[in-house]
Amino acid sequence: MKAWRHYLVVIVFLGACAGVAARVVVLNVTDREFLQEQGDLRAVRPQVLPAYRGVIYDRHGEPLAVSTPVAAVWTDPSFVRLSDDAIAQVARVLERDPQALAREIAANAGRQFLYLARRVPWDVAERVQALGLDGVYIQREYRRYYPAGEMAAHVVGMTNIDDLGLEGLELSYDELLRGRPGLKTVLKNRRGETIKNLDYVRAPRFGGDVTLSIDLRLQFMAFRELKAAVAGHRARSGSLVMLDARTGEILALVNEPSYNPNDLGPASREGMRNRAITDTYEPGSTIKPFTVLAAIESGRWQPSTPIDTAPGYFRVGNKLVQDPVNRGTITLRQALQKSSQVAIAKVALDLEQNAVFDVLLRAGIGDFVGTGLPGETAGHLSSHGLDHPVVRATLAYGYGLAVSPLQLAQGYLTLASGGHRRPVSVLKQDSVPSGTPVFDADDVRTVVRMMESVVEKEGTAPAARVPGYRIAGKTGTSRKVGPGGYDDERHVALFAGLAPASDPRFVIVVVINEPGGTAKGGGEVAAPVFGRVAARALRLLGVPPDGEPVAT
Amino acid sequence: MSARPYRETLLFVVLVIAVVASGIQVAWISHEVRRLHAELEDAQRAQDEHLAEYSRLLLERSARSSFQNVERLAQEQLSMRFPEQVEHLER
Repeated sequence: MKAWRHYLVVIVFLGACAGVAARVVVLNVTDREFLQEQGDLRAVRPQVLPAYRGVIYDRHGEPLAVSTPVAAVWTDPSFVRLSDDAIAQVARVLERDPQALAREIAANAGRQFLYLARRVPWDVAERVQALGLDGVYIQREYRRYYPAGEMAAHVVGMTNIDDLGLEGLELSYDELLRGRPGLKTVLKNRRGETIKNLDYVRAPRFGGDVTLSIDLRLQFMAFRELKAAVAGHRARSGSLVMLDARTGEILALVNEPSYNPNDLGPASREGMRNRAITDTYEPGSTIKPFTVLAAIESGRWQPSTPIDTAPGYFRVGNKLVQDPVNRGTITLRQALQKSSQVAIAKVALDLEQNAVFDVLLRAGIGDFVGTGLPGETAGHLSSHGLDHPVVRATLAYGYGLAVSPLQLAQGYLTLASGGHRRPVSVLKQDSVPSGTPVFDADDVRTVVRMMESVVEKEGTAPAARVPGYRIAGKTGTSRKVGPGGYDDERHVALFAGLAPASDPRFVIVVVINEPGGTAKGGGEVAAPVFGRVAARALRLLGVPPDGEPVAT
Repeated sequence: MSARPYRETLLFVVLVIAVVASGIQVAWISHEVRRLHAELEDAQRAQDEHLAEYSRLLLERSARSSFQNVERLAQEQLSMRFPEQVEHLER
């Protein structure tokens, strides 16, 4: 081993180290400014390509929710300090107060991302870009418009500022509507301008469209009539549900109060709730057709079977069941027409212990409807205590259970469809969903014929009549439960019905909660709403008249 | 060094040509990528504009054809009214 070779290697290595160290010093000291500048000039950034959110249509293709491209203007306060002049320029274009904007930027000086404005129309954003300011960036986003506004707000729902579903169908079908944003990587300069596209990672996948079963024309009419009725009777709230009797589709679903999804005011919390599906009410006398159906099913009762209601009240256990007047001996048909508590309670006590409960169960009362709308309630229907006559009697005239207006409509759907139970849907159906027969068609026809007497002059709801058409329905008035039991002042007025009775096309349930005027009953408060909406709906749907010709 | 055999020289030349060709290819492809990216960008911008226009037209159509609007025009401009009762002309 020669010693000189060893030294040579050491010297070469030391020389190399010295070289590297010298280069590091040169780069860090002499060329620093140049390199820093070049580095700032370009930076590899991921860029999200936003996906267009799907459109929500009504059953005839009218848009209910549409996204339009808008822009967000943002800055990076930790990186660029905007001069007062620049702030003033931006504020002028964005029509904001320059001082407020400057304060906002100063308050968020440490942050890397600050919105200066959101949901700016594109032409305004282009004017901002034209200012050519360092550190003011434009980002594309979408804004959702709801042409039907408050009329369809509870069904359609709304999105939040980041275009994510917040309420209604926008929430239930968020995944489908949202699509998937795309991604690419780009080389950007410090102004945020793209210098070079590096990689196209994936294309955005646009969101799917959703077509609802709602008919916007019916929805509009229903909303207008309901709003007028709630205001006219100084009621706390109201709901109306309209179902297609043949397919089980929801044609209209409205609540008052409502809210404007385009411009959410601060006081709209109360209006946000979709009462037709989230709130339950005791249905009262609207349950009586099902009690009568149970009686017909038993085979022991006919529409003409007499019932002795004298003296207008009777005692079940320790509860007094009473009618407003002594009606004497009336038929089963008249019991439904006049809504006699005494007669219906007597019918129920004559039947098998579970008869009425079983009919309600088959009709879907107390079942989860399953439309997919958020916040749906299952209501309350329990077989508990059916061995007590009191429970059977009160159930027969609609107390001791709680249903949402939609559930009640689902129950009446079985009467309108000749005893078939079909799923209720809020999406347009391509074909008629197959129903399950739950009642005998003849029994149902008999009950519907009896329900037609309710809108006769002698019935409880002549106001629900539509000239030229046969209407079948039933009124209901239930007292609300207050802190000390049933409250005599607070009522719920209901009307549930179907039209035309000879071949039902739709079911409408009207619920007016706590009418404040002198009129409290379903016949005076809810039935007129049914009458007006049904009259317009029959004309709009082109249903031929099936009733007595009307003299003009 | 001794003179290379003929075959080795040929291989060398072929490889040099291949390297040059693939270099040109790389330059051409990256140019093509840039061009297609620009095209994609343009197409996306056009799509955005069309979407914006589409949604604007959709909203305008729905506003004009809305039930309220039609009803108001029918009543105000054409003096139409809703029939209050079904009128049977003949039976």
